[in-house]
Amino acid sequence: MTLSRLIIAIALLAAVAIAVAACSRETQETPTEQPETSETSRLDTVKERGRILCASRNDVPGYGSTDADGNNVGFDIDLCRAVAAAVLGDSTAIEIRLISAAERGPTVQAGEIDMLVRTVTWTSSRDAQWGNYAPTMFYDGQGFLVRKDLEISSALELKDASVCVTQGTTTEQNLEDYSTQNNLNVQVVTFEDTDAVVAAYESQQCDAFTNDRSQLAAISSAFQDRNAHVILPETISEEPLGPVVPHGDENWYDVVKTVMGMLIYAEAYGINQGNVPSAATGNTKVDRLFGISGSFGQETLGINLTAAQDVIRAVGNYGEIYERNLGANGVNLPREGSRNALWANAPCSDCPKGGQIYAPPLR
Amino acid sequence: MVANAHSLDSPALPPPRSETGAIGWARENLFNSRFNGVLTVLAAIAIILTLWFSIRWAASEADWKVVTRLGSQFVIGQYNTESACPGQNCAWRPQVGLLLGIFLLGMAWGVAGKSIAKPVALTAAIAVSAMAFVPYSLDRMGWDTRLLLLANLPAVFAGLALARYTPLGNVRGIILAGVAAFSLTLVLLGGWVPGLQPVPVLRWGGLLLNVILAVAGIALSLPIGILLALGRRSHLPVVKTLCVVFIEVFRGVPLITLLFMSQVVVPLAFPQDFSQNSLFRAAIVITLFSSAYMAENIRGGLQSLHPGQAEAARALGLHGWQITFLISLPQAIRNVIPAIVGQFIALFKDTSLVYIIGMLDVVEIGRAFIQGNPEYLASAKELFIFLAIVFWIFTYGMSYVSRRVEQNLGVGTR
Amino acid sequence: MTTEGIPQFLTYQGIPLWRHVRVLQWALQIVSGVLVVVLVTWFFFNIGNAINERDIPYGFSFLQRAYQTPIGHSFIPYSPSNTFLYAFLAALTNTIIVSIIGVILATILGTFIGVARLSDNWIVSKLATAFIEFFRNVPLLVQLFFWFYVVLALPPIREGYAIAGRLFINNSGVSTPWPAAPSAPAAAAWIALAAFSVIAGVSLYKRLTRRETMTGKTSYPVLYGAIAAVAIGIVSWFVVAAAFGQAPLVISNPEPHGAFGRLAGGFTAPAGLIALMIGLVMYTAAFMAEIVRAGITAVGKGQTEAAKALGLSPLKALRHVTFPQALRVIIPPMISQYLNLTKNSSLAGAIGYSDVTNIAKTMTQTAPAVSIFVMVMIAYLAISLTYSLIGNLYNRRVRIRGR
Repeated sequence: MTLSRLIIAIALLAAVAIAVAACSRETQETPTEQPETSETSRLDTVKERGRILCASRNDVPGYGSTDADGNNVGFDIDLCRAVAAAVLGDSTAIEIRLISAAERGPTVQAGEIDMLVRTVTWTSSRDAQWGNYAPTMFYDGQGFLVRKDLEISSALELKDASVCVTQGTTTEQNLEDYSTQNNLNVQVVTFEDTDAVVAAYESQQCDAFTNDRSQLAAISSAFQDRNAHVILPETISEEPLGPVVPHGDENWYDVVKTVMGMLIYAEAYGINQGNVPSAATGNTKVDRLFGISGSFGQETLGINLTAAQDVIRAVGNYGEIYERNLGANGVNLPREGSRNALWANAPCSDCPKGGQIYAPPLR
Repeated sequence: MVANAHSLDSPALPPPRSETGAIGWARENLFNSRFNGVLTVLAAIAIILTLWFSIRWAASEADWKVVTRLGSQFVIGQYNTESACPGQNCAWRPQVGLLLGIFLLGMAWGVAGKSIAKPVALTAAIAVSAMAFVPYSLDRMGWDTRLLLLANLPAVFAGLALARYTPLGNVRGIILAGVAAFSLTLVLLGGWVPGLQPVPVLRWGGLLLNVILAVAGIALSLPIGILLALGRRSHLPVVKTLCVVFIEVFRGVPLITLLFMSQVVVPLAFPQDFSQNSLFRAAIVITLFSSAYMAENIRGGLQSLHPGQAEAARALGLHGWQITFLISLPQAIRNVIPAIVGQFIALFKDTSLVYIIGMLDVVEIGRAFIQGNPEYLASAKELFIFLAIVFWIFTYGMSYVSRRVEQNLGVGTR
Repeated sequence: MTTEGIPQFLTYQGIPLWRHVRVLQWALQIVSGVLVVVLVTWFFFNIGNAINERDIPYGFSFLQRAYQTPIGHSFIPYSPSNTFLYAFLAALTNTIIVSIIGVILATILGTFIGVARLSDNWIVSKLATAFIEFFRNVPLLVQLFFWFYVVLALPPIREGYAIAGRLFINNSGVSTPWPAAPSAPAAAAWIALAAFSVIAGVSLYKRLTRRETMTGKTSYPVLYGAIAAVAIGIVSWFVVAAAFGQAPLVISNPEPHGAFGRLAGGFTAPAGLIALMIGLVMYTAAFMAEIVRAGITAVGKGQTEAAKALGLSPLKALRHVTFPQALRVIIPPMISQYLNLTKNSSLAGAIGYSDVTNIAKTMTQTAPAVSIFVMVMIAYLAISLTYSLIGNLYNRRVRIRGR
């Protein structure tokens, strides 16, 4: 028997040794992918890999979902495509990694992904702990959805009500703050995912459903009795949403910020998917944006001079992305007059349009 | 429990009284005492009510649009989408994997002869081929797909022929062919040969993902479990301690926390780009989790052996490892086949938890779709019932086969 | 003792060191031990490095911070101003209570179905088989969603069932009257005395049973034991009430409250808990039924026949002859089902119940994920080891009695 144990033990040892060898070999094979060694930048890594890794989701209409053919679609997905088009010249060179709300922080901290576009609210503690925030691309806020037959017109009337909420986000905390501040004493029913929370709300397990207003609108518009529900006027939180990139690579952060700027300025200049210029237009700002004459720092960033052409041809400008996913062709959130309109039409920076979608000048 | 031996299939026994026919059978099996009579009536009412409500619901109220809309996505997930397989049609690759699987079943039929293998292989082949006649329009399911599905019927007979007329017709041949087929399928799916478009493993999904994880897990957790079980019974204190700690830790915590840890902590220890390897990570975690259970099952089997077996073997002059691998283990494993198959089934069901690490298995494909497209949210019930049926077919199939194998080996009848 | 299998001539004279079994064994143990230590150290060293380099929060200082997030349901009083540590313990209490109640219910149901499967009534045995084959072959997550939708199909709270104005059943949960303690010291004093009364009753029962078996005199041990326990309990109730000036416990009834008719008072088992409990119990009972069946069939047929020959009814034979022997086979796998039930309760979050895994996931939003999941794993390990310990102790008792 002793000999058999010996052999078994050797086999165990061999298994461990193989595991170690496998691990160490992998480490040698991919030295460039170490996110913390800043000698090789993430931009080079992405170019070498030929794909950009975005962490996103597939369970929220408008932001990130799958269509019936299984393709990832949505506002967040399009932002990822835009960066892929700018960096790699190919908007399909994306790889969407689906993560849960709880994984967002650890995933971007570990630097496993190039960009986090998963409806991540910009908060100071996340900015400090998770990664760097690119400009806000959508302003959202938390609201309440209730049935009309409850006959309430304000969230302040929700005293002693039961409220459904999806967990793992700031939504729960905001609700708690609001309830404490206004002495509402709400009962909270939390769920991990939207399918359960919507089922609970629809069967009146809870009196109200709180979430970001855009998601409330998208979800309630799909209800059979969509006119029997109303979103209350109060917005109880500030939710600026934008892409996040891992800490520790300034160049990559600048690239992402610049691509977001391209989308916004293309709309401001009235350039859309259909009329992307490839020759001089006479408008110096447009020519500079599209790399026809002049530069706004593409060489320093390490992207093509004509990157903006690729971006706008592939995904369109900010307005088109909005329209496709969140606007009339998507979940039907009105944009005109909201905070998500442009700050101004570009030729005239003195004629504000009332929106807050803004990027620093590209020059 | 004793009278149960007289069941429907032995009506030919000479009847002392009017115990033949339906009435006699009912009297003996349903109304042999007052208590049983009451039980029978209650059970019958429960069955009729359940059936009545389920059928009425399924036929009139239920809306199965989410099932028909997703269709092949349940099977392959995002495998054949534009971002996974740009500019090509990759759907044939998982289908080749399916063909190989059916081929293997054919081989099993050829080797095992007139056992359970024949009905299983034939049923599977016919069921899969029948899917070629799904009434989808041609642009949702093309000719190529339908032809490849139909090819499963010849495939099962090809396997049968190979097993019957070549030297591969034995268990070793099946294992060899199985390993070859699984590796070939993985290589094809990944597109890891020149000329094929590589498909990132993150895009493998649906039942395909469940099956791959389960097959890999089953194939690896059995040998690892055997090693751990032997290690735990070892007299070497360090080896024993390591095995005990491993087994108890992996058995003591929920799989979803292990998966979550593998997602948020393990990448910190491995500084390379690990996210490409979600499938790899999931497979490792599921395998290790399952092998800890497997080790305990096998240890139970080893403990049930009479020490005389090992002593007799030693008296015959066998060495330590010969005793372990030729005498003890085969008997031990035979004794715990139900527990091992039970663990395989548990492993298959557990593969649905990989949604924790962002992989789209068959359950998550459906859930994510209805959440992202709220007009389908109302069909959640239908979706879950469909998924329950899908899993049930696989797991019940496994337990049925294991029971028949057990009967053939004569376990429990000594 | 390790040389038992080695023929004499091998150990007899100076064989080379590298072939000496004992040397090899020790070398191997040292190498494997060192290797594992090195691997583990390397793993944690890398994690430590990554944490430092990327400023990932770590450590356990967050435990004293206020959690500031609501918990859907908790068995111990919780408010969002409590600390992370308290919130974690509240969630852990939920898991433990779910586990204990689930284990009890699943054991009862599983035993029942296991016996039913062996029934000589054809329809009952087939029904039991169908139950087992359905519930153990479908992933628990899918089943939980199924029960979740079943519970949701109950009427909403304002149209729910109210039985005698005390018991409320609706799709938000089940609310029942529940004892509440107006003054904590009074309640504690009475509970201590009540515990004493139970002990007194049990010891009286044991004494009388012994007298009965020794002398053969009918002594009604159950009756007198119960009377003693109840009497001491009631007397101490009045003593405590007099001493503290108020009743130690009062019954709190659930009552509609506020504009939305939500229930306050009493005890409410929320819908998520009910769906979770039904799902876990059904799923685990299916496995337990098979274990019970295997245990019963493992008892030799001769035993049942002998019991029958002695004139025991089938039920008595099961109770006094078959079951005690079957227990020996049943207990070890049963314990692993207890562990499984506990671990499976970690899926609770999907249907809206706040178990420890679920709360831990939320906590990672505002606290270090690594630390939290280490805590979660330790918590589950502790529960598992406790169950194993109890199971082993019980197993040993059954075994000794059997031989």
